[in-house]
Amino acid sequence: MRELASYLAAGVAYVALGVAFPSLLLSWVEGVAFLLVAVWLLPALVRRLR
Amino acid sequence: MSWAAHDLEPYAFQRHLGGKVAIVPLLIGSYSPDLFSKWFVYGIEVFGVELQADDPTQFHRGWPGVGFTHSLAFGLVVAALLLLLTRSRIWAFSFLLGHWAHALTDVGDTIGTMLLFPFSTETIGVGAWAYAGHVGRLTDAGAYFSGLGFVWDGVWILYGLVSWRILTRAYFRETIVPADPFWGWAGKRLPETALLALYRASFFYGTTRWVAWVIWAHVVNDFPIDLSWGGPDWVDAAYD
Repeated sequence: MRELASYLAAGVAYVALGVAFPSLLLSWVEGVAFLLVAVWLLPALVRRLR
Repeated sequence: MSWAAHDLEPYAFQRHLGGKVAIVPLLIGSYSPDLFSKWFVYGIEVFGVELQADDPTQFHRGWPGVGFTHSLAFGLVVAALLLLLTRSRIWAFSFLLGHWAHALTDVGDTIGTMLLFPFSTETIGVGAWAYAGHVGRLTDAGAYFSGLGFVWDGVWILYGLVSWRILTRAYFRETIVPADPFWGWAGKRLPETALLALYRASFFYGTTRWVAWVIWAHVVNDFPIDLSWGGPDWVDAAYD
């Protein structure tokens, strides 16, 4: 459930950013990088800082 | 052209073929026809110099041009090369499947693709949605997400959501990883959470950008929806 929530949150954030800045929606590399940061790197960083 | 189908179709193949395909070459195949040419269709600016094809439509889908990348024979040749280089049947087969899916999906627009190149340079298309690559990226997006193209993409999103089990961790472990040594290699360098994100990335990208473009086209902007065959009529579509 927590994993699904992190993907949903990443999706909502990406959609919001993409609507505001459509150029973000044009790059697969940026989209994948965004997902990796949102569901892997950021949570890992938060866990380490706790 | 399609804006999200090429991200999503490989997951539909994955659902039906399971361990007989590998998702990485499926996705590479699905992206391959446009991989090195799309930037020149829409144009980019490099150090103040605008680089764009004189005739973007001809360049993208025609001959002379790089339209041959959308032919069935091109997929076959690259798949044969992959087989020679990697000795992996699953990589060659998966690439071919992804490539052919792209070439056949693009038959849906008003230009179509040179499916039978080099035997024919005629483009084959059913003209369901407007090809508008030549009018610029944002207008093209507005047009695509106002016609039948975005409906086609929506079908693949729904299909993917119905097939949600293929996106689970268990499916990744039991079917995706054993099918392709790539994941074992990557697993020595990255944690499973990252591998899973990579596996799901194109589905995430295709789905979220579809939602975002629909909102951008019809909430932020006011592009008229026109689901007529070959529409939307308001855009200066290119025809074969």
